[in-house]
Amino acid sequence: MDHPRPSAYTFNMTRADTGKVEGRGARGVLRFLGLVALGGVTGGLAALLAVGFVGAVVWLNDLLLVSPRGRMMFAHPEWLAVATVLVPMLGGLIVGQLHRAIPEGRPHTPADAIAAVQTRRGRLPPRAGVLSALSGLVSLGAGASVGQYGPLVHMGASLGSAGARLLRLGRSEDNITIACGVAAAIATAFNAPLAGIVFAHEVVLRHYALRAFAPVAAAALVGHVIAAEVLDRGALFHVVELAIPRPWEFAVFLAIGGLGALVAGGYMHAILGVARLARRLPVAAPLRPALAGALLGVTALWVPDILGMGQETLRFATIAGAFGGAELALVMALKLAATALCLGMGFGGGVFSPALVIGTLFGALCGTLVGLAGGAQDTFVFYAICGMVAVTAPVIGAPLTSLLIVFELTGSYALTTAALASVTLASPIAAQLFGRSLFDIQLVARGLDLSSGRGRAVLEDARLGDLLSQEGVTLRPETTVAEAIHTLGQAGHGEAYRVDADGRYRGSLTLADLEVMREQDRGDAPIADCPATPRPVLGPEASVWVAMRQLQEMTGEAIAVVDEDDTFHGVVYESSIARAFLRYSDELRKEEHGAG
Amino acid sequence: MQARRILAAMALLSGLITGVMAPGQTGKASPPTGTGPLTVLSWGGAYERAQQQALFAPFTAATGIPVAVERYDGGLAALRRAVAERDVPWDVLDMTRSEAMAACDAGLLEPLPDDLAAPAPDGTPARRDFIDGAFGDCSLTHSVFATVVAYRTDAFPGRRPTEIADLFDQRRFPGPRALQRTPSVNLEWALLSYGVPREELYRLLSTRRGLSLAFARLAGIEDLRWWEAGSTPVELLLDGEVTMASGYNGRFFDAMVNRDAPIAILWDGQVQEHEVWAMPRHARHAEAARRFIRFATASERQAVLTRFIPYGPSRRSAMEGVTTHAGSGIDMRLHLPTHPLNAAGAVTKDEAWYARTRERIGELFRATFGDADHTP
Repeated sequence: MDHPRPSAYTFNMTRADTGKVEGRGARGVLRFLGLVALGGVTGGLAALLAVGFVGAVVWLNDLLLVSPRGRMMFAHPEWLAVATVLVPMLGGLIVGQLHRAIPEGRPHTPADAIAAVQTRRGRLPPRAGVLSALSGLVSLGAGASVGQYGPLVHMGASLGSAGARLLRLGRSEDNITIACGVAAAIATAFNAPLAGIVFAHEVVLRHYALRAFAPVAAAALVGHVIAAEVLDRGALFHVVELAIPRPWEFAVFLAIGGLGALVAGGYMHAILGVARLARRLPVAAPLRPALAGALLGVTALWVPDILGMGQETLRFATIAGAFGGAELALVMALKLAATALCLGMGFGGGVFSPALVIGTLFGALCGTLVGLAGGAQDTFVFYAICGMVAVTAPVIGAPLTSLLIVFELTGSYALTTAALASVTLASPIAAQLFGRSLFDIQLVARGLDLSSGRGRAVLEDARLGDLLSQEGVTLRPETTVAEAIHTLGQAGHGEAYRVDADGRYRGSLTLADLEVMREQDRGDAPIADCPATPRPVLGPEASVWVAMRQLQEMTGEAIAVVDEDDTFHGVVYESSIARAFLRYSDELRKEEHGAG
Repeated sequence: MQARRILAAMALLSGLITGVMAPGQTGKASPPTGTGPLTVLSWGGAYERAQQQALFAPFTAATGIPVAVERYDGGLAALRRAVAERDVPWDVLDMTRSEAMAACDAGLLEPLPDDLAAPAPDGTPARRDFIDGAFGDCSLTHSVFATVVAYRTDAFPGRRPTEIADLFDQRRFPGPRALQRTPSVNLEWALLSYGVPREELYRLLSTRRGLSLAFARLAGIEDLRWWEAGSTPVELLLDGEVTMASGYNGRFFDAMVNRDAPIAILWDGQVQEHEVWAMPRHARHAEAARRFIRFATASERQAVLTRFIPYGPSRRSAMEGVTTHAGSGIDMRLHLPTHPLNAAGAVTKDEAWYARTRERIGELFRATFGDADHTP
């Protein structure tokens, strides 16, 4: 055997890291294989859940007269109109009630899974997971203009996390099983295993470690096998025969990418904007989805394309001549508005499927314009796909996944390279202008900034908590300078913290300041008269990241921890902050380099 | 096949009439009593002769159970009456899947056991050997017939139509067309010609946009002749009045083999329908009926049937055993709708969809293309 197998490779790294050269190798391999097996099992369960979810949505859509097929097979136009308004409205009512049972009052989304992994918190709450899945199911079933992949991804993530908790595994394994569930959900829903693996890495894990790769790959593979066996369903898009685009058309594809980034930005900000507006509405939060549902239904009487996930609209958008140019712009704008309305007002569901539709309509619009300008129409589908990728990749922050989805679903290399041209501009432009993805923008709004990578995210999430020490010297303001110097000398510290009778913090003093007072013969003066050394303070909820930043600004032993009412909680020593920083970095390094 | 439909429709009508007008008058000819033969209800004509040679006679030889054949004489009305009176003169029914679905929903058919069909000769379980959708609650598909497009082989020198979109491409394939005066099949082909995937066909036809695209495509055909009787398209092609026509694959086969017609079938886009075996409720010889269905759906029997008539076997293993036409010796594989070479672009008619939409779509169709009465 010339080359070590991947597992042996990982295992060697484990040994190098722990500094032990021989022995315990078999155990390491077994542990690793166990993790891979767990990944496979998680993948299988997540895939079955995904199959069930997708099937239930289709069934509900047919039953509730949301799907075109269901609507067509229903013979009474007047009742159809009533159902078109009532079904999304009642669906919204149910969704609103479901969300009341979730602590945050909103459905959990892939953003929550990303946050859990990026901060190494793991442990996705199962109750919120189940309720969010139900909310997604009701929203999609009732025809809200939302996506199904978000709920599927979060469902897979929750399942993986629950498995890790059940087996009492560590945070690192928890992160890996979350990624496994996510990969399986995508692999199953799209029937695209490579896209599933890459999505889990690109969006959720955001690092590459062999130790995570193997279980995630196993999960995606199982998901794919189950999808191929159980889910007897057509792929998201079929492309039959293709003309090859002319060289100049690649320049247009690039331009579509640039413009698509703007459409993606408009889409994301429309969702966030409606959410902001919704908070100011004089309507109770649980009733807002019902209001959105009613509005959606009324609009759908006129343009039914905006109902539901819009797979039929997506398909027609790839056909030259199925829509007129103005019609494309209208349906695109309405679909964007409908999705912003539904998600902003609190329906549960994803952002990906509507982005697919909006992007494809946008690409079709570009293709139609090129056609009007004299270009040929035999490459129309290229424009549609380029638009699709240009809008979806920035929204979910996953250019590689979007490309792989195109590749795995069409098997066409020509189409994938065209999509590559488009995504080359789309993702960086959108990232510069708006943020890495809608998830990241939402997380920033919740106080978690992932733009500087995982190291910062972990430190921002880590609380001072157990670093807090009561060993700092606290002195009443009325204490004399001489007494203070004595007390400090006894305690062996160079700093003291003034705390009054009510427990309020009144500034820091260094031994040097006190000595200066004594030199000036003011040894009997109360230390209240001593000018305080300007020092930053930390709130009790401050993160290790903030503490590290404060350290750069000061010299001293420790930082006082003080809450909003100036109540003194204790101090955090510089050395313990540095130790915590090293510990978190070390954990991260181990996890990301295969030896957690 | 058209004759069969008309027959069935007439039978249905007469059944309705007798059912309403003369409720006292029950089934005319009681089948032979006692141990009696197995009574199979089938369609008569060349079809029944083929079944006689490939299925009925061998069954009697193998089991000693004689088979009596009755012409389809009831549609659902006669069956409904017979079941209601618990006096059912038939043991096995040969019907289209859409009728079997309706009969099953109405409780007129016996559910078939799961293990009724025999595994393939190589041991492949029946569920995997049969084509998709072959297993109904009360029915088992035994063969598949198709509506296809046929064209004159001398009409387009130097090229041949290869895909269903060519039906609408009168620039590359000039000449008049003949299509059946029904929305079904035509709408499917019209939408397929835009390049939509077969899997999404009925979903897309359910949208306003899909329907209007399909109608626009049909309306765009120049020199379009509508036909109603199943024999018409063959005659129109033979007389050179049209260069392409839709029709039933069995009819075109018959013209090619027995009349040396210079026509060929464009298999892409063929719309398949299933022909099934079913058992009525209260059949007298239920056990023998199950034996017969198991016997007749065995791979070998299905393959032998194709020696007499170009209906596609419902089993993949039977397809491998297909040989030549018993009369002319031509290779039958190229004439079966379900042969992999022909089935690559096949559409299975969504009978549930048509059952619920037929009237509305028919209205739309008549509004666009007029009634039979108005055509010259």
